[in-house]
Amino acid sequence: MSDNHAEHEEHIGIPGYIVIFLILVVGTIFTYFSSFWDLDSIFPGANTLLALAIAFTKMMFVILYFMHVRWSSKTIWLAAVASFFWLLIMFAFTMQDYFTRVSGVFSA
Amino acid sequence: MTAHGDTHEHHEPGLQHQFEDMNQQEESVSIAMWAFLAQEIMFFGGLFTAYLVFRWRFPMAFAAGSNHLDPFWGGLNTLVLIVSSLTMALTVYYAQKGNRTLQVAMIVLTMLFGSVFLGVKAIEYTDKYNHGLVPVTGWNKKVKEDTSAPHVTEQDCTQVGHGDGDDHYVNPKGEFQWKDCSLVKLAQEKNYLTADEKIGYFTNGEIDADKFRDKVRLFYFIYFVMTGLHALHMIIGLGVMLWLLWKAWIGTYGPKYYAPVEISGLYWHFVDIVWIFLFPLLYLLGRHFLH
Repeated sequence: MSDNHAEHEEHIGIPGYIVIFLILVVGTIFTYFSSFWDLDSIFPGANTLLALAIAFTKMMFVILYFMHVRWSSKTIWLAAVASFFWLLIMFAFTMQDYFTRVSGVFSA
Repeated sequence: MTAHGDTHEHHEPGLQHQFEDMNQQEESVSIAMWAFLAQEIMFFGGLFTAYLVFRWRFPMAFAAGSNHLDPFWGGLNTLVLIVSSLTMALTVYYAQKGNRTLQVAMIVLTMLFGSVFLGVKAIEYTDKYNHGLVPVTGWNKKVKEDTSAPHVTEQDCTQVGHGDGDDHYVNPKGEFQWKDCSLVKLAQEKNYLTADEKIGYFTNGEIDADKFRDKVRLFYFIYFVMTGLHALHMIIGLGVMLWLLWKAWIGTYGPKYYAPVEISGLYWHFVDIVWIFLFPLLYLLGRHFLH
């Protein structure tokens, strides 16, 4: 079992870590320069959506590889996914309130 | 590692007595760390929710405030943190390999980059302080006249008198300083203003500099709280790394026992992830309006 363990912990090795690192660097530079594009012609707020999509991708690489979740047990997957699910509930339940306060007594 | 239940004398170094073996210990420790990180996500999540609510209501004020942050520093700090994440991942790697020298070297590098991050943050905070952008009344008394900064020169808003011309400092009351309403003008022309903004920036149909300033102040409040809390996490992380450096130096960690390195790494990467989101959400709003 301990032999299996040692082999299992090898993960992606140094070249793999370097590749992930380079992906993150490219993502950062891309985020920076994409913020100058005027994507409002697609729809207002498209810039933010693109920036968040890149950030989410970067986060997935960090979580899966740097934090070893890809090789972790199902329990750790559950903890990771559940925390973001709770976050989503907080965003959704808060915003369904604010989205429906456009006018009237409880408006701004 | 099967039937050694009776001969417990040969405990591995670092194995706590309540665990069967190192695998089980490492697994339990990681799960506990993830449970901690889950509550950290909720902790920062409250602030992200505040950000979401107020940015949804006042997007132009957020864009205006964000445009005064320097994305060069923010981007540099993102890269610095990513490098530190790489060295942290390599710390875990070398701890698993039992390579003490490189492990110590990687910890030192991680701490170095973490310190660079905090140094850049200090430069940024100083700049905000010098421009009177601390969102607390009374904390901006030392703001000096700076004609090069666009937001201090007279723009599209009606000027609000702050002190008199003889004063060395332009802001004797220490009020939050914001006079640039050009983005409101732009949004008005493009018909981008939200319902909240039409109420929140205007008085009798005219752009109200004071009302707009208060919305920009909201952005800076969120900026300081979020980056401040993040910086606090960095400082705590540096403390953890210092402890780790000592333990690694005396050769505690090896292929069998590296759980503390692993969970310190989880914490460090988490702090990196928070910044990965803070950078675009705080520094890069509405830049396409200016360029």
